[in-house]
Amino acid sequence: MLELGPIFRALLRNKVGAVLIAIQVAFTMAIIVNSVSIIYERSQETKRPSGIDEENSFFINSSGFGTNFGAKATINKDLEDLRALPGVIDAVQINAIPVSGGGWSMGLQTEPGAEHDGIGLAVYMVDEHGLGALDVELLAGENFTASDIRWRGNAESSWPDKIIITQAMANRLFPDVDYAQTVGKTVYINDNEPMIISGIIDKLQAPWVGWNNVENAMLSPEYLERDAVRYFIRTEPGRRDELMKTVEEMLAQNKERVIDGMRSIEYVRERSYRSHTAMIKILTTVIITLTIVTSLGIVGLASFSVNRRKKQIGIRRALGATKRDVLRYFMVENFLISTVGVVLGACLTIGLNIVLVNALSLTPMDWYYIPIGMLVLCLIGQIAVFGPAKRATNIAPATATRTV
Amino acid sequence: MLTMTNVKKVFRTDLVETHALRDFNLQVDEGEFVAVTGPSGSGKTTFLNIAGMLETFNGGTYQLDGKDVSHLNDNQRSRLRNEKIGFIFQSYNLIPDLNLFDNVDVPLRYRGFDAKTRKQRIEESLEIVGLANRMKHLPAQLSGGQQQRVAIARALAGKPRFLLADEPTGNLDSEMAQSVMELLKNINKSGTTIVMVTHDPLLAKQATRNIFVKDGQVSEIEDVIPMHVANA
Repeated sequence: MLELGPIFRALLRNKVGAVLIAIQVAFTMAIIVNSVSIIYERSQETKRPSGIDEENSFFINSSGFGTNFGAKATINKDLEDLRALPGVIDAVQINAIPVSGGGWSMGLQTEPGAEHDGIGLAVYMVDEHGLGALDVELLAGENFTASDIRWRGNAESSWPDKIIITQAMANRLFPDVDYAQTVGKTVYINDNEPMIISGIIDKLQAPWVGWNNVENAMLSPEYLERDAVRYFIRTEPGRRDELMKTVEEMLAQNKERVIDGMRSIEYVRERSYRSHTAMIKILTTVIITLTIVTSLGIVGLASFSVNRRKKQIGIRRALGATKRDVLRYFMVENFLISTVGVVLGACLTIGLNIVLVNALSLTPMDWYYIPIGMLVLCLIGQIAVFGPAKRATNIAPATATRTV
Repeated sequence: MLTMTNVKKVFRTDLVETHALRDFNLQVDEGEFVAVTGPSGSGKTTFLNIAGMLETFNGGTYQLDGKDVSHLNDNQRSRLRNEKIGFIFQSYNLIPDLNLFDNVDVPLRYRGFDAKTRKQRIEESLEIVGLANRMKHLPAQLSGGQQQRVAIARALAGKPRFLLADEPTGNLDSEMAQSVMELLKNINKSGTTIVMVTHDPLLAKQATRNIFVKDGQVSEIEDVIPMHVANA
């Protein structure tokens, strides 16, 4: 017999401890469930592929300063030399690095005019070697040719007339059209400047990992005609570290410039997601701490309850309760407290999630977190109360006849 | 009904060994009302605990209702206790957080009765002790005599064949004590065997037989009222 009614009525007559534990369970659930949801979301974000060959790629900056330094000539020579290096699959000059945290963004729209809102996307300026260097796959259309590539000066504000965009961007621009059918369509940049989509690539993330439009990117067929430029190099598998040294030494031979900022994409990714990783660690610590504190609270209340009711347990044993009956009594009692706690906790969890979603622009939690959280908290309660309840079973029935 | 033969009970600590019962021999027949008296520390409560299977013993044999209980495990003792024995304690031992109905309900739930049977038995037994109109009261809202009546109702609800009472009137004034005693005598007349531990010789004299315990042994047995007279 579960004795639900008598246990519940008895709890109502000694409700302070039980109410405090129920409230603790409720707050623990609200925090734990929301934390788990955030951890899962952040964890999924850190696992998202950027679309490039992160393991075998790196970039390096070149800043020319000498009076004899010529940007165009240097860039052409550097690219020729880099591509000729054994072990290098491809190399490009590029304005920004995916998932690095810094880059260019623009807006594209399907209708001209300032009255239309553009959809944000990251801009990567590359030549016809961009696909190979970045290791992105052309799903539809065609790659740039050498004749498509133009030089972009410092004062240049116009854009090339053709671009390659990611599949995600194609779907955002033309949600009702298959992405392959968007090749050849005209889109507009700077409100009115037309560009033709010449190709669709599978995936290329923007530099900003926390951006809502992180999957939106375009390749623009351009060299940047500047003294300070950046090269993106993709190597054969396993040769990145070796080639990083080689490339640095090779470029450093030109004494009219400074070579710096060489980083692997793996490092860049780790740095970009460092706040995610830190948050995951902090929230995990919070979850573990709260679970321990709540468990200790339950153990404390149950131990206090067992000590306070030694005589009562002895009486129950004298009246025919088996050890199992005593164990069940405390487990059921805790289950009732936990049930009140998790029901209250479910409301608090939803409330907290609404606050977090509004305040921190988080994704709303999936509904199934709530029942799973309720089950887990009830289970934690049952595990925590088991020890004290087991001790209660050792109280002898003869305790009933003792006067002290 | 109850037969103890050479029962021994020794309490051991690191320093002391106390022989609470030494070759304790007693037979209680069905329908008897036995009063057990003796000085403090003589072994009365230990006898009662062993008789009620609240404690195990170290030697001898104990048969309850023809069944040797010496080798029963904890679960079996609990079940047997629940089915055959009703307890009345000196300090009533009601559960303070439960109302009278739920207090009387405690042993019935362990017995596994359905809700309807339990309700019927609870109402019947509270009716017998005259407290049927106070089912929703808490023990603290009753006098000592009324609480002891509830404890008797709880003991009766399971319809035990054997009632063990440990100083059932010890905390009551003489009027209340006599009232509880009359109740026990009526219960005994209806066929329930009662063994009552008491310090009060006047109450003991109202039982059918007096057992005097000294130094852990039965030292004297006195038939006070022949059973057939008592139950007439």
